[in-house]
Amino acid sequence: MNKKEKPEAENRPDNTAFTQQRLPAWQPMLSAGIVIPLFLIIGLIFIGIGVALFVTSRDLQVLEMDYTGMEQNSPCFSCSDPDQKNCKCTLDFNLDKLFEGPVFFYYALTNYFQNQRSYGVSKDDYQLSGDLDNFKDPDSTCSPYRYDSNNNPIVPCGSLANSMFNDTFKLYQLVAGTKKEVPLDGKGIAWWTDYNIKYRNPSVTPLKNAFNGTVKPLFWPRPAYELDPTDPANNGFINQDFLVWMRRAALPNFRKLYRRITEGDYSTGLPEGNYSLEISYNYPVLNFDGRKKVVFTNVSWMGGKNEFLGIAYLVIGSLCIVMSVVMLIVYAKFKFPEED
Amino acid sequence: MAPKRTYCTGYNGLTWDVKANNRHFHREKQKKSFLCFTWGRYADNVTRSYKYTVLTFLPLTLFEQFQRVANLYFLLMVVLQCVPAISSVPWYISFIPLVSVLSVRAIKDLANDMTRRRSDSAINSRPCDILISQRFETLQWQDICVGDILRIHKDQVIPADLLLLCSSEPHSLSYVETADIDGETNLKYKQAPGVTHNELTSTPSEESLSAFDGTVLCEEPNNRLYTFRGQLHWRGQRILLDSDHILLRGTVLRNTECAYGIAIYTGTDTKILKNCGKLRVKKTRTEKVLNKAVIGIVLTVLTSALLLSIGGGLFASQVMEQTEVLAALVVDGNPAYSGFLVYWSYIILLSPAMPIALYITFEMIHTVHSLFIRWDLNMYWEKLDKCAEARNTSLNEELGQVEYLLSDKTGTLTQNVLLFRQCCIAGEVYGDVSVSAEDTKPMDLSWNPYSCGGLFMSAPELVQKLRGQQCGFSREFFRALSLCHTAMAQYKNGAPVYQAASPDEEALVGAARELGWAFISRTRDFIIISELGVQRQYQLLALLDFTSKRRRMSVLVREPEGGLKLYSKGADIVILERLQKDCPHQERTEIALEVFSESCLRTLCVAVRSVSEEVWEKWSKSLSQASEMILSEREVVLDQLYDEMERDLLLLGLTAIEDRLQEGVPETIAMLQQAGLKVWVLTGDKKETAVNIGYACKLLDADTRLLEWHELRQILQSPDPQVSFSKARQTELWAVDKEMAGTKTAVVLTGPELAEFVQKPEWGAALMKLASQCQSVLCCRVTPGQKADIVKLVRKHTKSITLSIGDGANDVNMIKTAHVGVGLVGVEGGQAVQNADFSLCQFRFLQRLLLVHGHWSYLRISVFLRYFLFKTCSFALVHIWFGLFNGFSSQSLYETWFIAFYTVFYTSNPILCVAFFEKDANAEDCLKYPELYLSGQKNELSSPVMMLMSLLYAVYSSLILFFIPCGVFFNTPFDFQTMSVTVAMAATFAATIEISLQTKHWTKFNIASVCVSVIMYFLCTKITHSERLFKRAQKDYYFIGAADKAFIDPVVWLTALLTAWTAVLPSVTIHAFNVIRKGNDKHKVHSISPKAVELKSQLGSQTSLRRSSFIRRRAMTANEFTVTPRGSFPSTVPPVDQKVTATKPTTASDAYSFL
Repeated sequence: MNKKEKPEAENRPDNTAFTQQRLPAWQPMLSAGIVIPLFLIIGLIFIGIGVALFVTSRDLQVLEMDYTGMEQNSPCFSCSDPDQKNCKCTLDFNLDKLFEGPVFFYYALTNYFQNQRSYGVSKDDYQLSGDLDNFKDPDSTCSPYRYDSNNNPIVPCGSLANSMFNDTFKLYQLVAGTKKEVPLDGKGIAWWTDYNIKYRNPSVTPLKNAFNGTVKPLFWPRPAYELDPTDPANNGFINQDFLVWMRRAALPNFRKLYRRITEGDYSTGLPEGNYSLEISYNYPVLNFDGRKKVVFTNVSWMGGKNEFLGIAYLVIGSLCIVMSVVMLIVYAKFKFPEED
Repeated sequence: MAPKRTYCTGYNGLTWDVKANNRHFHREKQKKSFLCFTWGRYADNVTRSYKYTVLTFLPLTLFEQFQRVANLYFLLMVVLQCVPAISSVPWYISFIPLVSVLSVRAIKDLANDMTRRRSDSAINSRPCDILISQRFETLQWQDICVGDILRIHKDQVIPADLLLLCSSEPHSLSYVETADIDGETNLKYKQAPGVTHNELTSTPSEESLSAFDGTVLCEEPNNRLYTFRGQLHWRGQRILLDSDHILLRGTVLRNTECAYGIAIYTGTDTKILKNCGKLRVKKTRTEKVLNKAVIGIVLTVLTSALLLSIGGGLFASQVMEQTEVLAALVVDGNPAYSGFLVYWSYIILLSPAMPIALYITFEMIHTVHSLFIRWDLNMYWEKLDKCAEARNTSLNEELGQVEYLLSDKTGTLTQNVLLFRQCCIAGEVYGDVSVSAEDTKPMDLSWNPYSCGGLFMSAPELVQKLRGQQCGFSREFFRALSLCHTAMAQYKNGAPVYQAASPDEEALVGAARELGWAFISRTRDFIIISELGVQRQYQLLALLDFTSKRRRMSVLVREPEGGLKLYSKGADIVILERLQKDCPHQERTEIALEVFSESCLRTLCVAVRSVSEEVWEKWSKSLSQASEMILSEREVVLDQLYDEMERDLLLLGLTAIEDRLQEGVPETIAMLQQAGLKVWVLTGDKKETAVNIGYACKLLDADTRLLEWHELRQILQSPDPQVSFSKARQTELWAVDKEMAGTKTAVVLTGPELAEFVQKPEWGAALMKLASQCQSVLCCRVTPGQKADIVKLVRKHTKSITLSIGDGANDVNMIKTAHVGVGLVGVEGGQAVQNADFSLCQFRFLQRLLLVHGHWSYLRISVFLRYFLFKTCSFALVHIWFGLFNGFSSQSLYETWFIAFYTVFYTSNPILCVAFFEKDANAEDCLKYPELYLSGQKNELSSPVMMLMSLLYAVYSSLILFFIPCGVFFNTPFDFQTMSVTVAMAATFAATIEISLQTKHWTKFNIASVCVSVIMYFLCTKITHSERLFKRAQKDYYFIGAADKAFIDPVVWLTALLTAWTAVLPSVTIHAFNVIRKGNDKHKVHSISPKAVELKSQLGSQTSLRRSSFIRRRAMTANEFTVTPRGSFPSTVPPVDQKVTATKPTTASDAYSFL
């Protein structure tokens, strides 16, 4: 310490704030005067968000229709028989006011475990990114949808691709007894990264040649390169419907975007009137007690209608406010114990 | 007849036979071992403290490491992850940490073992002279074999337990220093048996020694340091041997040119090594709680994996087989097999709940805490240029929980320096003890050629009296001091230096030398002293030895003038009894005696008696008769004879010696007691000394009642074994001062009394119950083994943490036995330090080590463990709930990279900063309010209940973390990856909010680490979801684009925020409630300090009840009739005590409940 510091004092520890544990520090001095208002404010903010979410969500229009065909009187009842092939049914509905656009058209499945692990991994990423080697020899994760009974490789292989949703819809507005087709926009419904990076068709033209020596997935009516007969660019692994399907859902009840209604007379929405939805009913769900639905909805800044989030915010916000009141009471009891 | 009888009875148990000069016989039976088998009888003298050889290192270290359940568990995880069918995360994610943990440990062990090997070989290669074929050869310690005859030179360490055969000194006496065995620096003498002394010293030694063919029959090797039973059979004679004939390994030969001995016990058979105790791996209480928590977590993981896998099997058979798209995925079409695979997958998936990072971080924190201890300038001792050191880096938090402090006395509490500070001659008191030794004005002693300093007493008037030859009393007083002792003189630079059997004696003889009565030398029959420069030779007629029973010693001398004088010195109580009637100055001397003992000085009375020739002749005749009697009778007769001689003494005066305490000892002990520690003193020293020190260092208050063996025995022996009865006895016995019975009592025990506890194990519990109500316990005359036994007793009967502190080799065993062992860096050897967990230079540093470092470590590690388990469990257990929604398929909710990074990058730094820097109070306040320490003793922060609460909280959080996002995303177009990012974000936020709540002490590092963690999450997520990495390895970075999409989605943000807030809401609420409660108690915290001061001052001003033993005894007899002095106390002291104890709990728990 003094100038007497001898050379042999080499073991003397350094006198720094760190080694002496004297680092300057901020010790927040919380008190009831801070904590209670803090709780109150957080509660109010949460309630504010909750109200905003709730109001936004309430203003959104949703039209959800089950077309599984469980009930006798439902239009698709006849199609729900698994033996029926190429069955078509029509779902009529009526809009009593304008369905504001842009309208999103989803199909929804329930009780469908797209998040099942072995189901989810049952695909070949290299194959799907256009690697031709994996066309000949798909990854083992695809098994048992790797080769067909004749030992031909399946492309795209795996359970996930195999089970692709293959119901198709056509929407008509009934105007003065005639069916007026509502144009459905199927572009850009998949993720940008999926469409542009993750999934790639092999660079073989025509695309069909790349698939030589392979077979289509067992459940598919058409091979991958003929998924969209109307648009040749929308085929193979970058078919929008295929991409939407391949993006696994989080939970067993889910919706997937089918089309958007943005064009022509319907760019502002679906006007009031009668509509008819023509469904080509292919996808079997009854064996696992699933349901198929179509959903029309418009969206806001927060996406589709979501009442849960708003209510949850309201509940937690109120809880915080209740808590702050309880704290106030406790505080008062502690502060003025004699007055009780 | 008599010897025969002793032979017959004594032969029992004497099964260890040693044949002198017969290597062949002993070598054949040498102890050998292979693996775990040992055979043979006699250990060799090679020290082997190392554990590993080249061959055994790898298997042994692996075996040791996999005894930790956690390591086995991690190994299982690695193995599981290598199986592709079940692996849900890549194998290297847990393989690399496991290997690094194992190898770091192994290297550490190896380094330790190398050090041990080095120190072993240093010991093994120490030189020693062994008699081989008629010649002494200088060989090494490791060459010594039982039966060898050794020659030990002056100042050599004795290499094995030897039977002393003869030595260069008269009577074959040998002086040994036992500092390394019992910490006492004074010399003890050993004597060879008469026969060997006579036969072996007469002729040239080497020849006669190599012809020596005696056989020693003795006890099997044991750990009793102070006893030895054996017989020497030689030339048809049987000589009984006891511990006075034995030179123990580890002692040092002093004042003796050389000594010859035969090795009886070597190596591990020696008494000192038998006393060493086993090396135990110490585990802290917190670690044990952690282990329980870990086992709990592992069991939870296993059971939930089992349940989930049953669910998986059912799902496979009930749902998947019905579902066309899934049916084919049921492995081999067998749901049971699917379930089996799912089971292992879930174990892997849930294993991050208990990650290996916990152990790595835990070790790291311990290391840093140990560094803080080493770096602390307040524990740096300039004189030795040494810092405090944590030699065992894994016990830091235990320092914050110590409840029993078991301290050695000599060298630990005291400096082992005795100073002659005061004396009272003929009723006059000289010297002033209120001035500390260093401040005493040195007297001018230049007139004295023998003076060489070391007297810390200023009494010029005494010197004047002595030199002026005015006062016969004072001259007689110092003559007595210079004659009546057993010290030996050695000359260093011409001045005499004394080697005495006790340090008191050394101080007395030294003081006499300084004041002009220098002891010059002694032969068998004469003592030469120099009185004020005049040499006089006194004939030594008889030496009436000191024993603990007699508590006095006397010498009978013939003055050069021809007169006979008996000089006596001894304990006040025995000398005052033997004074002549109407002894002058007695009353004033007794007053001085009281004054001296109040200032905690050790007192001795000095007296003289003139003996007439007739008395002497008669007495010496009876004495020579007595010496022909057999041993047992002789002692009784001698006692009587001595007693006869030591009568009608004339009191000369009193000596007062200060047993210097180490710096700051009383303050430290007072502070530690305030912090709720119970301080016990365990010493090899005499009872009187120990009690005296107890008073001096404020361990005992002036009015503390000593509960000694006869009373204690009654309590323990009470027929009803249960304490309820003994409590009743207790109150009965102490009926006089019931109120103070507990706190104002100290138990005093001695070694032999403790030995009785071995036979009566049920006494242990009773003693502990009693001791827990007492102020302190003093154990005197205890062996190293007994010290350890006391520690074991405390450990067995309480759940408290014990800490042993000592400086000598005699403390090694107790240091090893206690939960925490602290070694003081003393002047002598480093044995204690080498075996200790912590080393300090000064006793007073203990307060900083415990109250500051220990307290902080405990706080930090408790917070760390609870938070770490919370963050890992809350994040991993989410998979259980997700399992309910994905067909129990062991689908991970998170991206692999998030799982890997979560514990390492996103949540580790803030908790690390808390574990390094957190404080609830700064160092000054920790020392100012020792009450803060109570929380550690009560285990408030890391009790099993607290751990359980943390785990339940984690389960709650995991539920929230899954179900709120689940509610939001149910039946929406959000995909799996978006949900995954949302939950990950919420988990990171929740962990960050939680650590921000836990942090009370925000240094810049804390703030930076919290910010960096959150930034790291967004940055790393962005990077791992980026296009570039996807293109490099698309299998590893399959979340491409998920972050880009999720981070701009308001629903994701709103969900993550809501989830995180809800997940930590219980913790936030509890913290808030604590703030509200604490805010109200704030004035109470501040009000405690004046009260503590008040308590101190009251204690200080109490009138002392402590008296010298003589006066105390008189007072006690008086007390049986009058109760008055006791009655006055309860009114003053206890109310203060109550006040303090009433406020203590609130403050201590408040300071912590907030954490």
